[in-house]
Amino acid sequence: MTAYVVTASDYASWRAQARALLQADVPPTEIVWNDEAKQDALFAATALPPAAAAATQTVPPHFLELAEVVCYHRDAERFALLYQMLWRLVHEEKHLLELVSDPLTRALQLMEKAVRRDVHKTKAFVRFRKIIDADEQEHFIAWYCPDHYSLPLSAPFFARRFAVMRWTILTPDESAHWDGEQLHYGPGATAADAPDGDALEHLWKEFYRAIFNPARIKLKAMKKEMPVRHWQTLPEAELIGAMLLEAPQRVERMLAQQEAAQSLFPQ
Amino acid sequence: MEVAKKLSVLADAAKYDASCSSSGSNAKRAKHGGQGLGNTEGGGICHSYTPDGRCISLLKILLTNYCIYDCRYCVNRISSDIQRARFKVEEVVNLTLDFYRRNYIEGLFLSSGIIRDSDYTMAQLIEVAKRLRQEHGFGGYIHLKTIPGASNELLAEAGLYADRLSVNIELPTESDLAQLAPEKKRPDLERNMAEVQTKAQEFKEDKKRGLKAPVFAPAGQSTQMIIGATPTPDLEVLKTSSELYGKYGLRRVYYSAFSPIPHADSRLPGQSPPLVREHRLYQADWLLRFYGYDVTEIVSAQHPNLELEIDPKTAWAIRNPAYFPIDVNRASREQLLRIPGIGVGTVDKLLTIRRHKKIVVQDLLTLRVVWKRAQAFTIANDYHPTRKPTCGNDVTKLVAKLRPPSQQLELSF
Repeated sequence: MTAYVVTASDYASWRAQARALLQADVPPTEIVWNDEAKQDALFAATALPPAAAAATQTVPPHFLELAEVVCYHRDAERFALLYQMLWRLVHEEKHLLELVSDPLTRALQLMEKAVRRDVHKTKAFVRFRKIIDADEQEHFIAWYCPDHYSLPLSAPFFARRFAVMRWTILTPDESAHWDGEQLHYGPGATAADAPDGDALEHLWKEFYRAIFNPARIKLKAMKKEMPVRHWQTLPEAELIGAMLLEAPQRVERMLAQQEAAQSLFPQ
Repeated sequence: MEVAKKLSVLADAAKYDASCSSSGSNAKRAKHGGQGLGNTEGGGICHSYTPDGRCISLLKILLTNYCIYDCRYCVNRISSDIQRARFKVEEVVNLTLDFYRRNYIEGLFLSSGIIRDSDYTMAQLIEVAKRLRQEHGFGGYIHLKTIPGASNELLAEAGLYADRLSVNIELPTESDLAQLAPEKKRPDLERNMAEVQTKAQEFKEDKKRGLKAPVFAPAGQSTQMIIGATPTPDLEVLKTSSELYGKYGLRRVYYSAFSPIPHADSRLPGQSPPLVREHRLYQADWLLRFYGYDVTEIVSAQHPNLELEIDPKTAWAIRNPAYFPIDVNRASREQLLRIPGIGVGTVDKLLTIRRHKKIVVQDLLTLRVVWKRAQAFTIANDYHPTRKPTCGNDVTKLVAKLRPPSQQLELSF
């Protein structure tokens, strides 16, 4: 029986409502969790249960850390899964988080891992393009499409690393700006909002082409680490097709040079 | 010559160094009056990947590919007729900063051909790192090659600016070196490693005594060995690695299959591609460092080479049937680490789970144990290999399946 329909958008809103529902002893089967980011909610939200005077429930701190990260995942199921976990943790399964082969624990840990990987890939694949602003200052702007809503987890990294620069990261969901002192978040953007090039990119591409060893092709390994869906925002990726086409001839040339050298200096 | 052209020549010449790691450094460098650029936060970041499956983490270039040495395996040897180029110090500094600001790289990996002599070359490399750190407050990652035969003073200075120092051991044995790299002497190479280790130790002890010591090569040392340029077997390769890990506390030994590719005529009939051998050596290296194996357990005088068809852990298990099966509910960590198809991470998870419940096969499958490899060697609460109904009491059938029929192999990732 469904008694409550609740809508969450992030960790803070999930946590506040989950706490109220747990204190009112509402089991997971009686709740439908909607994701505010998804427009297709079937049911309108209902009022939360009245605040009960129940004792505060304690959960392992590690669960809150997990929940905070999982809330950045794009899967609309995340809020319901987290509440199921919360329910079981306080109902005689306090070791559930350590039972990593339990399907629910496993599912949530994989979601956490996916978000962390997304953050890591953002740190790796963001490519800034330099422009000169109206006030004649350098401004570095990037267009990037994360897999999840994880920008708030990666932006502080850029703030530490590039503290002396002014930079902006634009994504379809939101944007992050660093003005040299503070981090600000703004609305989502499109590719057209970002600069379409940077004078330095030809050097980067030169390097990318030269560092590639045509004698060893491992396309699968490459795509596993640098998924094709991210190629659209990586300036170097447009070279990959041509590099693969050239590779056999380059190897032949290398072999020919080697043979020539070996005939001059026989072993 | 234009910078773009130099970059093309000197990156091309640098690509035979397999290492591109930017991890292991968490140096808190002086903030340069709040105007410094960049940092390191422990974990490395691979900013891009090329179609050869290798990552680009650092701007990996040579300062110059002119070289007075004649190492036969090296594209930059004096007798090679490749195009030569030389960067100016400020060109490397600017490229590093410009690439870094656009988030293409974690930092710089700088090596060089030997010009004039060892000390002169080493001093040039140091100059680049020093300017990046001192003039630009650069806090990103710097990996410098140490030049064989460079003075102790220069090695000590290099460590002040670099996160990682390395010298390539090049070939597994001294006689290989004599044959293919006549100017390089094993004692010289090892002296560099020893000196860097000694210095790092001194700085650590100063710090312990409460002295305000600057950081010294916080990401440690690594080295590289070329595989397949000589007939030296894996036994010698792994013995050398194991010795270097022990003697100089190296973080990594990189194995690089001889490249571009061996001369067609020199290939022995039926020999598998060298990439598989490189892959097996990395697996063996992992067993030495994280799984508690000894070199002599992996390769021996009777079997001096790793099997190419199966991974070294499975190979050991097949040779040592008396050690198995291992009960995942009772065995020690050391024993669990010996089960094929189960990695270090999974072993630690199993140790946690079994405090609360009996482990059954479904748990192993959920944790993505490679059951095909593990099943002949594992006991779970609901499973015993010799009681498996489909094969009666005959574990050998399960084991036999692990050894594929011999064929030309390709690496699948």
